[in-house]
Amino acid sequence: MATKPSAVEVRAYQVGFGDCFLLSFVYRKNEKRHVLIDFGTTELPKRGKLKPAEHMRRVADDIKAVCGGKLSAVVATHRHRDHISGFATDGESAGSGKVIAECNPSVVLQPWTEDPRAARDARVATRDSSRSPRSFLAGLTAMHKIAGQVFLHAASPPRAMSVALAKQLRFLGMDNIKNTSAVNNLIAMGQKGTAVWAHHGSNSGLERVLPGIKIHVLGPPNLEQSEKIRKMRSNDPDQFWQLLGGSRSLKSMGIARGGQPTVGVHRNLPVPVEARWFRDRLAVMTGEQLLQIVRLLDDQMNNTSLILLFEVGRKKLLFPGDAQIENWSYALEDAPNAAATRKLLADVDLYKVGHHGSRNATPKKLLWEAFKNRGKPNGRRLLTLLSTLPGKHGKSEKHTEVPRRTLLEALEAESELKNTHTLSFAEDAKLCHKIEMKIGR
Amino acid sequence: MRSERNREGSGVRPLPGNRRISVIAQDPSVKDAKGRILMAKIEIPAENLMPGPSGYRVQVVDYDSSTGRYYGAHVLPQDFDEELKAWREGEQPIVKDYRFHAQNAYALVMKTLARFEFALGRRVGWAFKVHQLKVAPHGLMDANAFYTRKEEGLVFGYFPSRTHGTVYTCLSHDVVVHETTHALIDALRERYLDPSGPDQAAFHEGFADVIALLSVFSQVELVEELLRRSSKSRRKGYLSERDVQPEALRESALFGLAEQMGEEIQAVRGEALRRSARLEPSSKWLTNSEYLEAHRRGEIFVAAIMNGFIRAWTARISLHKAKDERLHALRVVAEQGADIAAALVTMWIRSLDYMPPVHIEFGDALSAAITADSEVRPDDSRFGLREHMLASFAAYGIKPASKQSDGMWDPAPGGLDYNRVRFESMRSDPDEVFRFLWENRQQLGLREGAYAKVLSVRPCTRVGVDGFTLHETVAEYYQVAHLTPTEFVPRGLRLPEEYVAQLKREQSDALKRRRKRLRGARDKEEPSTEGAEAESDPTTPIYGGGVLIFDEYGKLKYHVHNDLFGSRQTERLQYLWETGLLRAGAKGAELAVGRLSDVHRSRAIAMRRLPMEGW
Repeated sequence: MATKPSAVEVRAYQVGFGDCFLLSFVYRKNEKRHVLIDFGTTELPKRGKLKPAEHMRRVADDIKAVCGGKLSAVVATHRHRDHISGFATDGESAGSGKVIAECNPSVVLQPWTEDPRAARDARVATRDSSRSPRSFLAGLTAMHKIAGQVFLHAASPPRAMSVALAKQLRFLGMDNIKNTSAVNNLIAMGQKGTAVWAHHGSNSGLERVLPGIKIHVLGPPNLEQSEKIRKMRSNDPDQFWQLLGGSRSLKSMGIARGGQPTVGVHRNLPVPVEARWFRDRLAVMTGEQLLQIVRLLDDQMNNTSLILLFEVGRKKLLFPGDAQIENWSYALEDAPNAAATRKLLADVDLYKVGHHGSRNATPKKLLWEAFKNRGKPNGRRLLTLLSTLPGKHGKSEKHTEVPRRTLLEALEAESELKNTHTLSFAEDAKLCHKIEMKIGR
Repeated sequence: MRSERNREGSGVRPLPGNRRISVIAQDPSVKDAKGRILMAKIEIPAENLMPGPSGYRVQVVDYDSSTGRYYGAHVLPQDFDEELKAWREGEQPIVKDYRFHAQNAYALVMKTLARFEFALGRRVGWAFKVHQLKVAPHGLMDANAFYTRKEEGLVFGYFPSRTHGTVYTCLSHDVVVHETTHALIDALRERYLDPSGPDQAAFHEGFADVIALLSVFSQVELVEELLRRSSKSRRKGYLSERDVQPEALRESALFGLAEQMGEEIQAVRGEALRRSARLEPSSKWLTNSEYLEAHRRGEIFVAAIMNGFIRAWTARISLHKAKDERLHALRVVAEQGADIAAALVTMWIRSLDYMPPVHIEFGDALSAAITADSEVRPDDSRFGLREHMLASFAAYGIKPASKQSDGMWDPAPGGLDYNRVRFESMRSDPDEVFRFLWENRQQLGLREGAYAKVLSVRPCTRVGVDGFTLHETVAEYYQVAHLTPTEFVPRGLRLPEEYVAQLKREQSDALKRRRKRLRGARDKEEPSTEGAEAESDPTTPIYGGGVLIFDEYGKLKYHVHNDLFGSRQTERLQYLWETGLLRAGAKGAELAVGRLSDVHRSRAIAMRRLPMEGW
């Protein structure tokens, strides 16, 4: 086998609001190595008649066909549904996860926050008052619980909650609910092959299966790393989630039930006339508060995303998952090797646009404006991949729409953009954009 | 009912003005020597309450919107003596007694309101048009509590504790006072929630923390308990010399309370006390990037005042110590501390009247406090509060905004014209005050060509040094101008370059979209761009304004003023742009109005924003 690839093929699959990329490194004509980066969706375009389960199964079958039944690695950048739902083996995705498992990935790469051994500890260690990995992970677990409650709340919204707000809550709640089947499948695949949980600067474990390729793990920072820059912050951001989610059973204390007075009140009385105006206002405001919480929760989870840079010969391919600025800022600003990282990223050839094109996931000055290949003539021009579904996330009047209009304009103007949204969504349509890059030896 | 009883046999005895009522001294985790919840007996205005409780200024609505459950209109004991023993003595069941929760929240809101009215010498209305502030003691399940102008109320959340039971924010003295103070600042300075410089956003939080913490420290029971715990003296009821040194008092009172406070409730509050007590005096914090975040910057303000409190307290103790005395009576030291805390609360509440209505900065707040206090209480020899405040603020690099050596505001300019205004009318009528402004616009430095409005005219009464009652008037006005980028230049102001570029891009994009629409509508005919081109340049608003303090003769005593085209505006606009609060839209500037609930949450999770990296 050749020691270095001569080309790379990148497939960006249409998965609606989600991510699914297949990287195929061509070593010889019939010798390729394949890496699947993320496989999930929260919502598919309305255009087709396909059910999500059927569609994800078709994508899985296509991946299996392309890789000839063997994946060198599977990367799950973070735990959000829109990045991992396809790995589920239950009926929800028509067994698409089984198809991937049949491809026997040699390496399963995930961020350090997904280490199942730590998670087991996390359940018993939630009382940690100091900031520790376990308490951080327990915070993430608490988030899933909140997300589940939020989803249920918005599924049968109170009378005063607007339709638009309930829709947003359902969408964000759904994306943050723990996807047990997919998580278990990733663990199982990792046990069968080699599981790697990475953080900034750590080994990706991919070099072993991808000879001649250098893989840099740029994010997420682990707690030890991010703590160094947080000397002046004394309270734990993750503690907040534990406060909300609680380590004790949310089932009995959750949004669905509330506190428990034991003295002096009869419960659930009719609301008197003079209190009704305020009651209705409260109901609306509570929905807004939930949205705020669930947004922060969503950001927090996005910031556990792996940021991977593949260096193949002179070509560089950057896959940052959904990392937002707080994750990026460690690699680009705060890490001891930040200057070297910025230099390394300046001549990226292919950039997978972070977080479906949201406003906070492509650092404007530190990353985008530093890309040298922006605006170059065809052939040497920066390639960008965007996997998105407009109209699902955020609001344009608040400049939070995904994809963000100004970013999209910059991508269109200064790079060669492949947007999965432009792929038609019919049974006979092609499933992905395919890009081929030659690599000079 | 007691009121009925009092009315029987007409004219027997007038109704009492105040009543005593039990509240939790800090929160349920602060216990007394016997392990019971430490309670305090406070005085609040007496009134004939309706079930709710619903009074003349506060309406408690015990509705939980997370569960959709209404817990009923609570009927409170009419008098301290009618309270349950468990309430008076702080037995554990009160933590789950929603009727007590309602009393605790009601009493602390009323106490805070009464403190403001006492300090300002007048009724203080809410920022909205109705008389009653709504209070939801169990409004939603959330580790948050906040004031909301839109909903005209205070919302207290509750959340499952990590260890045991539920944490109720309505049971925390400092949380209730903090939120009520937000409501009262908003009532007195409605523009302080607007985007401005870093200090203004921090001020709302910092000031609410200050009033809340000083309110907690003004309870003798609590101060006594804190001192007792850390006392090194072998004699019961006494403190040693070491116990009353500044460092020891900071340790026993400030850190002592922070240690006692419920850990989880502190997380909600962003650990205001612990962190401000830990913030060592230095001018470096003001320019530190982390302290440019509103929720951190407020800590500097809190630290300056709480350290000033310790300074004044220790000075007072040493002043009253006989030479050969080695021990200090614990009760006396506690009372001195509580008295100074109470005096400081009054001083800082009074200062609000002397603060500019827009763009408050810490230096303005300091000058306002010094001036207000000197006016009402010229003799400061007892506590030396002004001196200690100036020294403590200086240690954090905060100088009074006025140029006067004593930190007081400059006297009003001379040469003002009073001939065309009517004295009586000026005391309550915004139109009359506006006429005064208009006639004297040049002397007062108002900018022509900008919109001006009198926001409020408030008569206030205070007792003069000679014991006679004085009537003064405080009026606020503001000015606003919406300017195009080119109009900023001749006024000596500069907009951030990137912002102007973005405005241009947004405008041309909007124009393109409009042309496209027109083309579509006219069935691909060559469109006339007339009309589209005529769109005016996008504008950006800037604000200024001032406060006018008139003496009992209707003459202007102080004019605290932020010039609409002042030199600080350029810096402010740059800050707003960098923090993402000012954005460029197709029709001009878009200013993000912050919500207090967001600020609290950002504070709880120590959020870091990098808006310049966003799209």
